[in-house]
Amino acid sequence: MTKNEFLLQLKNELKKNNISDLDDIISEYEQHFAFKLADGFSEEEIAAKLGDPVELASQFIPNVSENKYGGRKIVTVIGMIFADLFAGAFFLMLFIFAAVMGIVTVAAAIIGICLLVGLNFYGLIPGMPYLCAFIFAVSFFAFAVLSTAAFLYFVVFTRQLMRSYKRFHINVIAGSSGKAALPSLPVHPLLSHKFQRRLRMLALSSLTMLAVSLVSGYIISAIIAGNLEFWHVWGWFVK
Amino acid sequence: MNTQYKKGVLELCVMSILKRRDCYGYEISEYLSKYIDIADGTVYPILRKLKSDGLVTTYLSEDSCGPPRKYYSLTDLGLKTYEADKKEYLSFAKTIETLLEDEDDDKK
Repeated sequence: MTKNEFLLQLKNELKKNNISDLDDIISEYEQHFAFKLADGFSEEEIAAKLGDPVELASQFIPNVSENKYGGRKIVTVIGMIFADLFAGAFFLMLFIFAAVMGIVTVAAAIIGICLLVGLNFYGLIPGMPYLCAFIFAVSFFAFAVLSTAAFLYFVVFTRQLMRSYKRFHINVIAGSSGKAALPSLPVHPLLSHKFQRRLRMLALSSLTMLAVSLVSGYIISAIIAGNLEFWHVWGWFVK
Repeated sequence: MNTQYKKGVLELCVMSILKRRDCYGYEISEYLSKYIDIADGTVYPILRKLKSDGLVTTYLSEDSCGPPRKYYSLTDLGLKTYEADKKEYLSFAKTIETLLEDEDDDKK
């Protein structure tokens, strides 16, 4: 084997094993040839003494030496592409859900403001006494706050889920090419106790507020209208 | 001799050479092949592993003639690791020696 044949074979084998810094390694062997040639050895002799390029290249694989991962990695990568497609669709659904939650939150807040200050665009909000409108405005605000808390948690949850999936993805690929795997990440978000407590407080108090204002709103409306089905009295669903 | 077994001990030998002075890859390869029967090319994967473990560093140095040479030098961590591994290896080797000699004695 000549110098060029040896170096080419070594380079190809290193590439197969996904070794980084190819040129660095090759230049060391080039120098070895240069020294030995200067001492009067032939290229064939030097190559023979260096050893089998395939065997040498396998020794550059970190930690694992004899295993060959060439075929397995391709299969794994193809498998991961399909897994990514499904996961991608799933995450897209989560994003859309988050967007809907955001829009609903904002809408609830706007309706609350309209009820409170008596704005009524295009007559969209059915008529009712101001007292009832005030109580229902409180319900809408409470709902907006509750939905904000849910939205916040959902965003954090989705982010953690994506991180966890990304780590899984990296580890699967690393595992198939003989590299060390990183510790896997938990699926549920790791929130600080302070943030958790505040979020829970916010959710619970707004939920209570929502329930109280809805029930009291219904009772007061029923009393004012003199009918349990007060919406008929105020002609809400009539064109 | 089993190559896999040899490789572990070779790391120790490479570190012991580097403890004396900084060397370039070819020097180490030549030095080792004088004492141990291994393929010349085996030293380079070992040097690379030691480097990625942070036990040695490299630097380029211009010599009077020829291209700049890559020198290997033992780091502080490398020195500590070497001393610890050396101690461990020597006591291990001693144990094995005693064990094997005992077996010889029993035959007599």
